[in-house]
Amino acid sequence: MGKPKHYRPPGKKKEGNAARYVTRSQAIKILQVSLSDFRKLCIHKGVFPREPKKKVKGNHHTYYHLKDVMYILHDPLLEKFREIRAYQRKIKKAKAKKNDELAKLLLSRAPSYRLDMVIRDRYPTFIDALRDLDDPLTMVHLFAMLPAIDRLKIEVKRIHNCRRLCHEWQAYISRTHKLRKAFVAVKGIYYQAEVDGQKITWLAPHARQQVLTDDVDFNVMLTFLEFYEALLGFVNFQLYHSINVKYPPILDPRLEALAADLYALSRYFDANHRAVIQEPRVAGSSRSEQEQEESDLRLAQLQHQLPANEPGALMHLVQDASSEIEEDETTRNCKILFQNKKIFLSREVPRESLLFVIPAFGGIVSWEGDGAPFAESDDSITHQIVDRPTQGHVYLSREYVQPQWVYDCINARIILPTEPYMVGRDPPPHLSPFVDDEAEGYVPDYAKTIRQLQAAAKSDIQPLPGTGNDELDNSQNMLAEGFINRTEAMEAAEKKQEMMLLEKQYHNELKMELQGVSSINKLNSEDTKSKEQSLPDVEEQSAEDPSRLMMSRKKRGLYKAIEMGKQQKKERVEKLKERKRNIEAAQKSEKKHRKAQVS
Amino acid sequence: MRKISTIEGYIFFFSFQCFTLVKKKANEHVIFLSLFRAGDSPFFFPCRCGLPLVSFLSGTMSHQESQKLDNVNPLETRVEDVIERGDNDFLDDNHDQDEHSESSQSHQAVDESDSSEDEVAPRNTIGDVPLEWYKDEKHIGYDIAGRKITKKERQDKLDSFLASADDSKNWRKIYDEYNDEEVELTKEEIKHIRRLLKGKAPHAEFDPYAPYVDWFKWDDAKHPLSNAPEPKRRFIPSKWESKKVVEYVRAIRKGLIKFDQPKEEPRFYCLWGDDSSSADRTKHLAYIPPPKPKLPGHEESYNPSLEYIPTQEEINSYQLMYEEDRPKFIPKKFTSFRSIPAYENAIKDSFERCLDLYLCPRVRKKRINIDPESLKPKLPSRKDLRPYPSTCYLDYRGHEGAVLSISVEPSGQWIASGSKDGTVRIWEVETGRCLRVWEIGEAVQLVAWNPLPELPVLAASVGADVLILNTGFGNEEEQKRIKELLHIGTPTTDDSDDMSSFLSWIQDEKYDCIRLRHYRTVSSIEWHRKGDYLSTVMPAGESRAVLIHQLSKRLTQRLPFKLHGLPVSSVFHPTRSIFFVATKKNVRVYDLLKQKLIKKLETQLREVSSIAVHPAGDNLIVGSKEGKLCWFDMDLSSKPYKTLKCHPKDITKVAFHRSYPLFASCSDDCTAYIFHGMVYADLNQNPLIVPLEILRGHTSYDGRGVMDCKFHPRQPWLFTAGADSSIKLYCH
Repeated sequence: MGKPKHYRPPGKKKEGNAARYVTRSQAIKILQVSLSDFRKLCIHKGVFPREPKKKVKGNHHTYYHLKDVMYILHDPLLEKFREIRAYQRKIKKAKAKKNDELAKLLLSRAPSYRLDMVIRDRYPTFIDALRDLDDPLTMVHLFAMLPAIDRLKIEVKRIHNCRRLCHEWQAYISRTHKLRKAFVAVKGIYYQAEVDGQKITWLAPHARQQVLTDDVDFNVMLTFLEFYEALLGFVNFQLYHSINVKYPPILDPRLEALAADLYALSRYFDANHRAVIQEPRVAGSSRSEQEQEESDLRLAQLQHQLPANEPGALMHLVQDASSEIEEDETTRNCKILFQNKKIFLSREVPRESLLFVIPAFGGIVSWEGDGAPFAESDDSITHQIVDRPTQGHVYLSREYVQPQWVYDCINARIILPTEPYMVGRDPPPHLSPFVDDEAEGYVPDYAKTIRQLQAAAKSDIQPLPGTGNDELDNSQNMLAEGFINRTEAMEAAEKKQEMMLLEKQYHNELKMELQGVSSINKLNSEDTKSKEQSLPDVEEQSAEDPSRLMMSRKKRGLYKAIEMGKQQKKERVEKLKERKRNIEAAQKSEKKHRKAQVS
Repeated sequence: MRKISTIEGYIFFFSFQCFTLVKKKANEHVIFLSLFRAGDSPFFFPCRCGLPLVSFLSGTMSHQESQKLDNVNPLETRVEDVIERGDNDFLDDNHDQDEHSESSQSHQAVDESDSSEDEVAPRNTIGDVPLEWYKDEKHIGYDIAGRKITKKERQDKLDSFLASADDSKNWRKIYDEYNDEEVELTKEEIKHIRRLLKGKAPHAEFDPYAPYVDWFKWDDAKHPLSNAPEPKRRFIPSKWESKKVVEYVRAIRKGLIKFDQPKEEPRFYCLWGDDSSSADRTKHLAYIPPPKPKLPGHEESYNPSLEYIPTQEEINSYQLMYEEDRPKFIPKKFTSFRSIPAYENAIKDSFERCLDLYLCPRVRKKRINIDPESLKPKLPSRKDLRPYPSTCYLDYRGHEGAVLSISVEPSGQWIASGSKDGTVRIWEVETGRCLRVWEIGEAVQLVAWNPLPELPVLAASVGADVLILNTGFGNEEEQKRIKELLHIGTPTTDDSDDMSSFLSWIQDEKYDCIRLRHYRTVSSIEWHRKGDYLSTVMPAGESRAVLIHQLSKRLTQRLPFKLHGLPVSSVFHPTRSIFFVATKKNVRVYDLLKQKLIKKLETQLREVSSIAVHPAGDNLIVGSKEGKLCWFDMDLSSKPYKTLKCHPKDITKVAFHRSYPLFASCSDDCTAYIFHGMVYADLNQNPLIVPLEILRGHTSYDGRGVMDCKFHPRQPWLFTAGADSSIKLYCH
């Protein structure tokens, strides 16, 4: 009888992958917890399966590193989970014995756990935490939009907490002008901020009733959410701490009640408490005394936090300091994008998003409703964001634009002309700021026009002399300038290339000379070289095939894969171009039809 | 019948057996009747009938009943008050009412006794008897003192009419038959009546829809009230409570119950400290951050460019795809911000991300962002390796079938070709002129020039025969020698050997040449460099598969070695007495002088088709039917130094150039590859192989492409023979 394949004499320790990796069921056995507790622990501790080089137990198992398992094993959280489990059993028992009193007593003293040390462990530095913030933000934003459902154990408290965390985060980003990109997609609105050099991208769903599906295990999501809430809380604390604002912020209850949390937060930042005092008193008259007392108390706290004599002095101080030290160029650019713009939001516009985005780029914003900083009738309003088929009453002093204008301006970092975005028009396509068009190989038309406008704006940073009576002319001017600029740039680039080439040749020749190769008729060689430069393109293509023969099998496969990827990309671009051709052809024929019909 | 009592706006109805109508006042009567008329269901008539009705009702109650009610322990003293009052009021008609024995389980309620009419007692005391009993009497009844009340004189109709005409208030007067008097209704009473006629509550101030107040505790009692005596436990301290108190006291002492809530610590604090540099790395496995989700492209926009939206046909075609290949997101255009709906997969996507985060094994993979050019091996530029054949220069036409083999004359002036059409032709290389044609009549498999320039003979294999043809070149002296050489007087057979049955040397008269008759088809002919020896290979020849013929002595000997596997081809070493035999799998190298096997080269190919030796003799290329070409360096190893997979189809022939460092392979895929194959004298340096050119030009015929290729002996030219019956010359 032969020995089994992986025979190990008794008493000999396991080695290699067999010793380093354990399957999930083995891990559970080591930890002595239930599968659900294991899952929770994994989520909290950030433990994930790993791929061993050699799968000892077979291909269909998931493997955890033994060190990971030990990492869980030595965590106090594990003991806490066991304790909670035992405690739950006590409560259950009391209830089964109809001992409601005891059950109540036990419930009131149920053990709980905190995740601070776990977070500290997982993210030793603040930067680490920021690096991993994409998922937490997306999840928390999603839950902020969800309804509370008892059946799924989604409590109202948590939803509120999520909403609060979102607003706190957004308030910070908006306040410090760290937002870089915003993109309205079908899935929601993508935002990208840059905090401490980390690009953080998150997705906030549209403010609509979310679709709940059955094929989702909310237990898993809620466990994740629990961790994310804690993480985001600590991150927010740190961020607020960094700009010397107390956390958690105390908000004006009236604005909070009006669901204008973000504005309330910005007010909190501003700490312009004179206005804050006046307004609640006016509004507070109708409220019951108790509530007023409460708000007074809060205000008192608020005042207490601020230096007594000068309102908001601290904030200004902080701002000045930060502007000197931290602000890089992009931040400064972002800060002045909507400067001197007073923007009013109509009722039907997604308020939360725009309230977040516009101040982040230096604009002043108000909305229709209670608690708004200024009313619609304000004369100094420059833009009004409207999302309706027609606008009834029109103030001539301001421009009425669709919300997309704001997002496009942000992504282009210039103030775009408003006429394509006017009320009732189909706005131009909304393009993703996350795409590198050059790498993709296809540049949509609107991206080109935006680029021209950008170039024009760059060449002429100072605003054009304020004739202002004809916007169209203005924009055309800008376009023309952009063109000129472009052609100039192209020429310059060509020249530069030529120079580079000459330089290179010269260097090569020098080298040759150094090597002792007599440079025979330099001029000739130059000529031939310049001629050859055009030739090799043709030759090299035919040469591709033979040289591929000499690659090793691995490299050949890799090369093939790269080629295939290139081919796919090319096909994608081709498809886009073809579609565009088709669309244009269709439009042309339609126009012809119309003309024919007219004549 | 039922008895109705309405008090305080509530109607109480009881299932009494009889219902007594006591007429005490005319207005009461009227009111009651109208009550019935107004609401169809008197039981639910929601009104407060006011005093008359109340008094009537309370009047109906017997004294005994009221006493009983007393015992029932009524809830409120007010109720009792009313009942007592009723007793007092109607003390006098107790006797009458006794007649109507009522089973009384009554539930009496309260009246507010709102008018002074209550005090006016009826004059007549006869009670509830039919009045017709007194019709013929002079009196109508008796007053309270028992005196007869005499009937008044009735007004006749004329008087009454006159009265009504005279007195405008006459219509208010109603004749009370019971008391035999005329009563004038007050304004209020009329109002009441009017309201009743309209079906409303008599009192205007009464709110029929007042909130319901239940005065009684019905909890689980069958009846609202209990007359059980107050139990003792109500008056003594509770033992249970004292126990509970003791329990609590103990709990408090033990510290189980705490009154002061524990101070809530702030949930969040400065976790990372102020300086970010203080990072105490835990000694743990390297953290592999999860890959970030893909950022959205233009197509995910709510308002993408039109070209990003697939047409309906394309969307339909997605259904035919495999589920994995199907695009998960189909771009869609929404004309305005307000028309964007909630994304239906938001939760699902988030959930899947969660699953990915905690269930997917993570591996750190190096992102290969390499330039594909860098993958290509560093080879010298092709320009530096010139000259090599690259362009088709000449096309030799004339054959009518696939050209199976070609051979170049050692001087390089002529080429010979053998074709399927049964001819052997000789061409002038530089002009393409066909010099000579031999019509053999059978497909010519192979042709081979003798390597000696002074012996211009050509070996051609036709089926199982090998012909040695005189080409007729050379001067007279040479011709004479050749003729001598090719002349066999009588078929000589080697008696000493038993080869005669397998091979015979025959004089062929037709072409004036030697015919070597083999017993199996010959697949390869190879001349020795000295031009005297000729080796032929018959793959089906078993132990006599490889034969070596000597032309001058007309001798044939077989290879004295056992071959493992079918032989395919054989080559002589260009300088030494070494002989290579390629079998299907291996190449065997024999030393002919020492008569032993030197080496066995393992090709690791499926089926070897051809073999060529480098002019220096230490390197070898082998072509196979799977399109692979192996380069053997015999000094290096018995394994191929390099295997090149270049042709998708069978390699038919491989060839080395005699002087230039070139070699070529041709294949059934109608191409020929030219390689640079430099062998260095320095043994430490491995041969350099550089693919140079792919030569195309032949067309496929009958599944075959290029059948043979040969280099020009002095120039870097390549001749290829195609199945399309043409021979091409490629020059540099």
